[in-house]
Amino acid sequence: MLSDLRYRLRVLFRRDRAETELDQELHFHFEKQVEKYKRSGLTEEESRRQARLAFGGDSQIKEDCRDARGTGFIETTLQDVRYALRQLRENPVFAVVMVLTLALSIGANSAIFSVIDSVLLQSLPYRQPDKLTRIFMTSEAFPRFALNPFDFRDMRTRNRSFESMAAYNRSDMQLAGSSGDAIRVNGFRITAGFFHVLGIEPELGREFDRDAEIHGNELQVILSDRLWRTQFGADSKIIGRKVTLNAQPFTVVGVMPPGTAHPGNQYHALSYGEDVDVWSPFAFEGDQAQRGGHYIEGIGRLKDGVTAETAQGEVFSMMNTIAHEHGNDMGHWRMLVVPLDREIVGPNRQVLLVLLGAVAMVLLIACANAANLLLARAAARQRELAVRMALGASRARLVRQLLTESLLLALIGGALGLLLAFGGVKGLISLLPADFPRLHEIHVSAPVFLFTFIISSVTGILFGLVPALQASRMDPRQGLHESARAATGSAKMSRMRDALVMAEVSLACVLLVGAGLMFRSLINLLHLDPGFQQQHVLTANLWLPSAAYKTRPEQSRFYERLATELESIPGVSSAGLGSDLPWTGWDDNTSFSIEGRQPPPHQDFGARYHVATWDYFRALGIPLKRGRLFTREDNADRPKVIVINQALANLYWKGDAVGKRITFDDHPKESDWLTIVGIVGDVKDKPESADTHPGFWWSALQAPFSQMSVVVRADADSQTLTQAVSTAVHRIDPSLAVAEVQWMDEVADATVATPRFAFVLVGIFAGLAILLAAIGTYGVIAYSVSRRTPEFGLRMALGARRTDVLLLVLRQAAMLTLSGAVLGMAFSLLAGRVLKSMIYEVNPSDPLIFSAAGVFVIAMALAACYLPARKATTTDPMIALRAE
Amino acid sequence: MSDERLDLPQGTLDLLILRTLAVGPQHGWAISERVQQVSSDVLRIQQGSLYPALHRLERRGWIKAKWGTSDNNRRAKYYELTRAGQKQLDVETEAWRRLTVAVGQILESM
Repeated sequence: MLSDLRYRLRVLFRRDRAETELDQELHFHFEKQVEKYKRSGLTEEESRRQARLAFGGDSQIKEDCRDARGTGFIETTLQDVRYALRQLRENPVFAVVMVLTLALSIGANSAIFSVIDSVLLQSLPYRQPDKLTRIFMTSEAFPRFALNPFDFRDMRTRNRSFESMAAYNRSDMQLAGSSGDAIRVNGFRITAGFFHVLGIEPELGREFDRDAEIHGNELQVILSDRLWRTQFGADSKIIGRKVTLNAQPFTVVGVMPPGTAHPGNQYHALSYGEDVDVWSPFAFEGDQAQRGGHYIEGIGRLKDGVTAETAQGEVFSMMNTIAHEHGNDMGHWRMLVVPLDREIVGPNRQVLLVLLGAVAMVLLIACANAANLLLARAAARQRELAVRMALGASRARLVRQLLTESLLLALIGGALGLLLAFGGVKGLISLLPADFPRLHEIHVSAPVFLFTFIISSVTGILFGLVPALQASRMDPRQGLHESARAATGSAKMSRMRDALVMAEVSLACVLLVGAGLMFRSLINLLHLDPGFQQQHVLTANLWLPSAAYKTRPEQSRFYERLATELESIPGVSSAGLGSDLPWTGWDDNTSFSIEGRQPPPHQDFGARYHVATWDYFRALGIPLKRGRLFTREDNADRPKVIVINQALANLYWKGDAVGKRITFDDHPKESDWLTIVGIVGDVKDKPESADTHPGFWWSALQAPFSQMSVVVRADADSQTLTQAVSTAVHRIDPSLAVAEVQWMDEVADATVATPRFAFVLVGIFAGLAILLAAIGTYGVIAYSVSRRTPEFGLRMALGARRTDVLLLVLRQAAMLTLSGAVLGMAFSLLAGRVLKSMIYEVNPSDPLIFSAAGVFVIAMALAACYLPARKATTTDPMIALRAE
Repeated sequence: MSDERLDLPQGTLDLLILRTLAVGPQHGWAISERVQQVSSDVLRIQQGSLYPALHRLERRGWIKAKWGTSDNNRRAKYYELTRAGQKQLDVETEAWRRLTVAVGQILESM
């Protein structure tokens, strides 16, 4: 067996030598034969003649010898490839059109698959990532709600579904940087064993143990590899050293390796990625019996054989028990255990799958197109094929030859497509929003190469098989006798070609309708009244370390001074500070009591809370509806006041809320009541939703937060203004870091990046689809015109006018494209249903979009037919008739 | 082209080639000549079947080829039996004997 393989390989690689040797060997035999005849008395000439007769077909012997050598398959393929290449060179236009359309559509598929592979298929950089799950509370109003720390601790001890469990929440820190400036770094507080759950070992030192969870032991920190290198010079003896964070000394206990990815979180969200620099311990403090506060998020590693559903069931019954132990019940709350990879990708999975569907449609159209071109060419090659058949080529041999040609086209297209994919993926990454999951992991990977090879081969077979079978099914006698033109009139063949064009047109319709729906949705999103004015607003983020600003009055004083400083910057029309900015995912809620009212059983009055200085609303352009905004005088010495939004006013007071009072105490004194002084307009929760969650604002001078956002409305250029804001902050406290400086319209713009990405891509695919469909229609009509030239000639000889002939051709084209479009509309209705959750305020069967798409596709297809139709009208009856 | 010429039964060509080469290395033409001579012109091997058969036997490792010089100083490809080829020849000769004996018995006894 081995010697057999060695033999075949040797023969294959020294093919030329093997062939020469065979020639020599046969020649030797021939000469010997000639000699023998001469010896028997024949003349030289006669001897040679006899020998040649005896020898038979020289090439047949060679062919048989090749087969005997066992390399026939490969040699035949090489021969077919050479033949195919020659064919392509003879028809360069055909070859270029085929290869380019295939390269574009295969390349588009490879590029989209690169994104899918990196985002959906490649596993996350954790140990056994499929076992990792996120743990939330959930209700209708709050699909993903944080956990109470003590509830989490009970769950961690009692559960049987998880191998390990941890919790974490965002806690950014201010680092006294090596250069003297304060730096804001992304940080999280984590419970013991957080990295064990993820399955990542620290590079140096260790992670936090249970002791770190005890209040008083919080001053420990784990650093990222990046921070360790950039700020601490990769000091290998850093473990045990003290570093200054938030103006307090933290002991370094560990350094994480490069590539430590944050699993993503929901509250004060930081998406999945390597953007976290410090981790500090989460300490359980306060009264265990009070379980109203929910502010940590859970993550757990499932035990072998336990599914997320089972775990969810167990966690829910456990939480019920825990609630009962504390005299509560879960009410309308449920538990949610979601696989981590699904949580990270979220709704983007659907976006990507829709794109894959769209780009697959483009490939199908390209396939139909290629099949069509091949069918037309097979018709033109009928005579050539008939000759080969008559010379003894078997049907299988012809099919193989034709398939080799189509595979060759597809593979050249695929190779070119792969090159396009490299550029395409770069383009895709630049189009994607910066917080798109796993954005930095997207690249053209080995599976993409395999994918491209497979789809190219499948494409080649798909578009080559039918034409090859069709072509080889003919009767060689007929093929030889009839002129190529007449022979192709077979009804079956033209029905096939018509069907292919209809399929192309219908798929192009679907893509165009999809692009139309997405475009409408994008326009709706861009024109949505967000409830505030995003232009000319610069924002930034500040954090007051509790070590330096221990009391509320100290914090209030800082904010009052800063707001005043900001107002005095030249060009600033209004400036304020607030707990948060619109559309950044702020979702902190509280319950309260309303004066003189009882909540319904098992329910509380509640709303989302914020904090604002007096000019925060004016700076963001949020309109006042009733009452008044805060003033500089709403400070700690004055009666407590709140401003509420219209949604909250409507929810509890039918809009008439000014002067009403609420409190957060169960047994309020007179000073514990807060009076509603004003109602402001609703700011949409998210740009793509029309909803506004009920909310209220505390006066920043009465209830300051340690972390605040700066809002400055100004007519000034970015650089000057940024510098001025930074100077204003540092004039009050030079140790503070000014973080996340950006224009509000950038924040707003980022929120529509994903729908825009989807629209741009589907739009490009639709354009490509229409181009292909137009080429397909052109091919079929041009072909049919050339076939019917004698008929047109006859018609014109009998008195038909040019316009009659033109109409005749256009009618044929119209029938094709119209039925394609009707079919396309039916498919589009189905496609619209898939898109429903991706489009905003658009009817998925919008008649305007549907008819516009239909008209456009038909117009394009008819335009493509105009040239061949014109050609039909220029038929000279004499020449046309003579040709027959 | 005498009428006594017989068609070779399936599979016997390999046996004849192997047997001829058992005497010593030979080139293709000599093999066909020898078979024709020894069989008194009854068996003739056509080039069309000889050379594919030689290549097939070479692939199986029963014979190997090397280039040598023929009687009048021309380059010729000589085939010789390998050890595996010798073994194969023994097996096939034995099989052929048994076959002819069996066929003979049937023809005689009925």
